[in-house]
Amino acid sequence: MDDLTTLRDLGRDLEHEPPATLGHQRRRLLDAMGASASRPRRRPAGFPGLPRRANWVMLAGVAAITAALVVVPTVLLRSAAPAGSTVAAPAWDRPPKHGDALNVLLVGSDERLPPKGQPGLKLGRRSDVMILLHLSADRKRVVAVSLPRDSMVRIPACQSSSGATIPSRVDMINQAFDTGGLRCAWKTVESTTGVHVDHAVEISYLGFKDMVDVLGGVDITLPAAVRDPKAKLDLPAGRNHLNGEQALGYVRTRALGDGSDIARIKRQHLLMNALLGQVTTRADDPADLTAFLDVARKAVTSDVDLDLDTLYAVVRGLRESGLDGVRLVTVPFRPSKIDKNRIEWVQPEADRLFEQFKGD
Amino acid sequence: MVPTMTAPPTTRGTPDAELIAESRGRPEAFAALFDRYAGMLYRYVSRRLGPEVAEDLVGETFLIAFRRRDHYDLAHPDARPWLFGIVTKLVARHHRAEAARYRALLRSPVETVVEGPADRVAAGVSATAARSALAPALAGLSKGDRDVLLLIAWGDLSYEGVAQALGIPIGTVRSRLSRARRKVRAALGDTNPLHAQEERWTT
Repeated sequence: MDDLTTLRDLGRDLEHEPPATLGHQRRRLLDAMGASASRPRRRPAGFPGLPRRANWVMLAGVAAITAALVVVPTVLLRSAAPAGSTVAAPAWDRPPKHGDALNVLLVGSDERLPPKGQPGLKLGRRSDVMILLHLSADRKRVVAVSLPRDSMVRIPACQSSSGATIPSRVDMINQAFDTGGLRCAWKTVESTTGVHVDHAVEISYLGFKDMVDVLGGVDITLPAAVRDPKAKLDLPAGRNHLNGEQALGYVRTRALGDGSDIARIKRQHLLMNALLGQVTTRADDPADLTAFLDVARKAVTSDVDLDLDTLYAVVRGLRESGLDGVRLVTVPFRPSKIDKNRIEWVQPEADRLFEQFKGD
Repeated sequence: MVPTMTAPPTTRGTPDAELIAESRGRPEAFAALFDRYAGMLYRYVSRRLGPEVAEDLVGETFLIAFRRRDHYDLAHPDARPWLFGIVTKLVARHHRAEAARYRALLRSPVETVVEGPADRVAAGVSATAARSALAPALAGLSKGDRDVLLLIAWGDLSYEGVAQALGIPIGTVRSRLSRARRKVRAALGDTNPLHAQEERWTT
């Protein structure tokens, strides 16, 4: 007789059925849940109403937004010409502006690859990263909220690039950009958050790749080896020097962690952090900086009214204050009721978070 | 004979990973995981440690799992390996009691009620004797080998599941399993050369 069969038989002999008293253990678990729900949570100073789940995404002060803040305005300010391209000012029923605080929408965009056999077909761009940032009236504080691209939201009616009107619908937030461009993303963020967005800025991934290359690559420390043939990545654990393409692969791969967009957002934050270090070092060398700015300028689309002087002042202020005033969070979310593979924002926590964008 | 390695997924509708993800924002969702697997874990622990400690240990397992739900790797839809991993660590605290339990079986063989197919009835007597010989062999296994063997034979986990549960490479699962089975077979007095080669096993 097979040893495993004998072993299984022995197991059955030894087994006991769960008693009714196992219900006590269920109650014990429920008590722990109740305690976890009502336990007072430590909140970061200055940002009340932030749920616990957002905290893990909050990386130590420096983040995507800081990089964007340093990169984008410096680029625009230093170059005589305006941004690579512009979008028209908004023309819809907008949430009112409050005070002198500034809200900026940042969209990281990506070229969509043409289908096999139709290499000439241009499908336009899609958005992979959406960040809404708030600069306080005194420009001392910055809150940046990542809006995961698979968030289910109501997208208002928008115009497509061909001029057709796309009716309002509930869809993933990145569909707003994909079908209606930066203006539609802008409109969608305003209508779903109720926040007046003063400016919208788009940074393309290809431009990002060039930016990394012109900086001579970026150093990053990986907790574990990364292998993803799809993203052309094969990196050992520990310290790595990434070129532009590898850096891009690293922020885009879904072959790491839980494969979710959330895990990806976390990696984007880490990489941006490393990149920021590189930019600030290079900023001391005028020749290097000029080359970098020239590349970065081409990667950016923004609205015409972007207030460069203000943003430049913010960047300088942030550099001096050691970035203590910067907070990066992800909008509170949970699996969507409509589609479990999507997410939805948790209310009223999300609204409470956006409420801060309406003050100073 | 090719034994079934993995029990069919018992997930009814929502995969475990989604329940866990949901419980991160809405803790109550975690109760569904208890309803799904508390019975399974109780049976497993009752085999290894007896019914006296099983109940408390299952309760503790879910408390630990609940506290660590933020760290669960959502890429794994099936939470059983994760739960078995936690339970295995808790069982380890009772390793002396476990060994004593198996040894005691030699002195007082388990009373079995043989039911079902006729061949099992026929094999009943010798099988009971074999089981009594098997128990002390379990007591003699190293902790790591025993965990692997019992997660497969009693926990119905796949090799991958065991690797995930114990946080060890799959090659280690295979080597531990084959060593454990060699010892168990020796205790059963098995000299069948076919069995000695039966290291690989369809998953």
